[in-house]
Amino acid sequence: MSLIKQLWLTVILILLLAFVGSLAVSVTSTQDYVEQEVQIKNADNANALALSMSQMEKEAVSIELLLAAQFDTGHYRLIELRSPEGEVMERREAEALDNGVPDWFVNLVRLDVSPGQAVVQDGWRQYGTLTLASQHQYAYRTLWQSTLEMAAWFALVGVISLMLAWWIVRSIRRPLVEVISQARSISARRFTTSREPRTLELREVVQAMNTLSGAVHTMLSEETGKLDQLRRRLQEDATTGAYNRTTLLDHLQHNLDSDSKRASGVLVMVRVDDLPEVNERLGRQATDDALKALVEHLSQLANELGGGEVGRLNGSDFLLLIHGAQDIEHVSEALKHQLTLLRDATAEPLRLPAALTEYTHGDTASQRLAALDGALSDAESRGDLALVVASGAARSPLYTTHDAWRTALLKAMETGIALALFPVVNARQEVVHYEAPSRLELDGEWRSAGLFMPWVARLHLEDRLDLAVAERALALIESDQQPLGINLSGRAVGDMAFIKALRQRLERAPEAAKKLWIELPESTALHDLSSFRLLCRELQATGVKIGLEHVGSEFTRLADLHDLGLAFLKFDASLVHGIDQAYDQQTILRGMATLAHSLGILAIAEGVKHPEEAETLFELGLDAVTGPGVKAE
Amino acid sequence: MPMITRRQLLSGLGAGLLCVMLGAPSPASAFNPERLRQKMQQAYGASGVAMIDEWLAMIARLRGQQVGDQMREVNDFFNRNVRWRDDIAIWGQEDYWATPLEMLGKREGDCEDYSIAKYITLKELDVPGNKLRMIYVRARIGRSQQSQAHMVLGYYQTPASEPLLLDNIIPSIRPASERDDLDPVFSFNSSGLWAGGSQESRADPLARLSRWRSVMDRMRDQGFI
Repeated sequence: MSLIKQLWLTVILILLLAFVGSLAVSVTSTQDYVEQEVQIKNADNANALALSMSQMEKEAVSIELLLAAQFDTGHYRLIELRSPEGEVMERREAEALDNGVPDWFVNLVRLDVSPGQAVVQDGWRQYGTLTLASQHQYAYRTLWQSTLEMAAWFALVGVISLMLAWWIVRSIRRPLVEVISQARSISARRFTTSREPRTLELREVVQAMNTLSGAVHTMLSEETGKLDQLRRRLQEDATTGAYNRTTLLDHLQHNLDSDSKRASGVLVMVRVDDLPEVNERLGRQATDDALKALVEHLSQLANELGGGEVGRLNGSDFLLLIHGAQDIEHVSEALKHQLTLLRDATAEPLRLPAALTEYTHGDTASQRLAALDGALSDAESRGDLALVVASGAARSPLYTTHDAWRTALLKAMETGIALALFPVVNARQEVVHYEAPSRLELDGEWRSAGLFMPWVARLHLEDRLDLAVAERALALIESDQQPLGINLSGRAVGDMAFIKALRQRLERAPEAAKKLWIELPESTALHDLSSFRLLCRELQATGVKIGLEHVGSEFTRLADLHDLGLAFLKFDASLVHGIDQAYDQQTILRGMATLAHSLGILAIAEGVKHPEEAETLFELGLDAVTGPGVKAE
Repeated sequence: MPMITRRQLLSGLGAGLLCVMLGAPSPASAFNPERLRQKMQQAYGASGVAMIDEWLAMIARLRGQQVGDQMREVNDFFNRNVRWRDDIAIWGQEDYWATPLEMLGKREGDCEDYSIAKYITLKELDVPGNKLRMIYVRARIGRSQQSQAHMVLGYYQTPASEPLLLDNIIPSIRPASERDDLDPVFSFNSSGLWAGGSQESRADPLARLSRWRSVMDRMRDQGFI
């Protein structure tokens, strides 16, 4: 039985005991008192009347009158005079009065009073025996009423005590429920902290659990920090903190291959002209500062335009990768603005020629880079702050206008979405789930997401597509019973209406929801952590598994995510690529997997191309792998 | 017994009857000669014990005899052995109802003490209680014919018959009609006194309210009943 139920029962039991006890005491003592009083009255009145009768003429009418007078003016049930032989000489008896007291109560408290008796003398002889009984029906009514009053009083007391008990129970129950849910979270390796309740005992429990969560948080921060240092050394340029060449080109290639809006975007290359000379003029420190400032301005630009990455290709060339299809003129303007700001901020004016070009799904990295190189040489020759736009690859687009795209996309979504299936397998070659990027039928062919996602994003149709994909996935799960993983686009995170709509759909298919894996890009989730937290809370209730993809550069922030109950992390391909040869990478991934496991999170590697890589990854302790080189058995 | 006011009379009666209702003897109490001797020894010493032994011997002798003989002997026993004095002289109180033990110990008693003692003794001799009645009478004593409150014990052969009176003014038992010096005022059926329905304990605070109750309690304590 629960503590709270026991408390209720105790309160009710105590009330009942108190009520029955005091009622019994009160009724019995009143009963005794009334019995004594009536007994005395019977005796005294019988004697007084007998005495009066003894003193007077024994004449029938006078005796009758005296008896009648006593009876009529007093409160008697019976006055009776019997001769010594036992014959009734006079008798007055009151009719039973109805006093509204229930019979069962009268029977219960029945007053035991015997009538008073006295002998009337006629000289030396006995004239008769007088029997007198007082009316004590009123006593029943008094008892009954006092019982009713007491019951009413106890009902009032009962209500008040139950209200008090309810209040106490509530003030215990609320923190108790919180403590229980925190304990459950911790047992599920979600190290949450909660507000300390006022109840002393519970507070101590919560303090202990909070301390535990805090310790886990600290441990995670430290460990992820160490891993991140390693990763930085491996992937980033030591001077500026931008990605190094290998990593950025890896990212570019993965974006081109990807099924998201990142499959299209803009590449910006900026060159610091005559870097050795600048170095000489400014000194090493100032030059490094200037380069850092350049990277910062480029990152700033990327943020303004919806996300991107900055890398240093070699000493003087910097590459900015802006995600998502963009208006190239707009990017060009924004870049000019940032570079002007930078130039104005540095003491010694730098020459910063730049080139831009678009990339789309289907391009190759080398071809785009070559185009950029050409344009950059052109810009260099044009002088300070020159911007040259290199034309994109000559390919005829599917549709030429926004409206055409919108119409086509909406029509395709209505017609139906197909889901491609890429297996995610564990060390035993079992499928953990299938990654299921969407396919839309455009212009008579099924097109991959890389082609239309940039347009979906540009036309703000992500919500609609995401919902359609979720619905399709649920239907497939119901028919095939295979677990599927779908992506949510970045916009979904902050959109409460979308989250609610998705939750409703998931609640309609509770069994299928348990086999649905939902993933978001690491950068999106961490960009708006509170919204992501809300999304997790809303959707996890339906049983779906939520995780992050492309985890890498912001792994340090895992400490902030430890209380979210994430089901899985997919580590970025740039960390996975060539893992079988790269020992530093192995160290990083081993650490990441270990930390993920300590929080009960599955560690999955993305972008696996060769069986050797997969083998190494499993040896490092990763739970599953996916990528072009991974096939389902 | 000095002048009894009407109020005293009524209160005494009322309280007495109350005792009938409330103060029935507890089942444990009974006639206990040993206890009587012991109590007498404590209170009045050897002479008292001699007196109580005499009384006990009389009871033993009279047991099973004719009622007439029993009454005569009992009446004579008390009239002979006890000197009639006012309560105020004996006890220093206006009106004190003594138990037979106290009366025999002192060898002095007032009119109601005689009646109580004779009554208790006859009861012990199995004379039915409903035939015995304490009667308040107005007595004209001596040549002055001065009225005085007095009490006698009456024996009624039947409820309707004329009683025989056991008195200490005139030591011999006589029918009521022969006692011109006595006017009956009121009587009470003493059989009720010991046959009450309720079983109140002696700790009942009401006990102190009544002379009857008080004397009965003391008698029970001393081992009479």
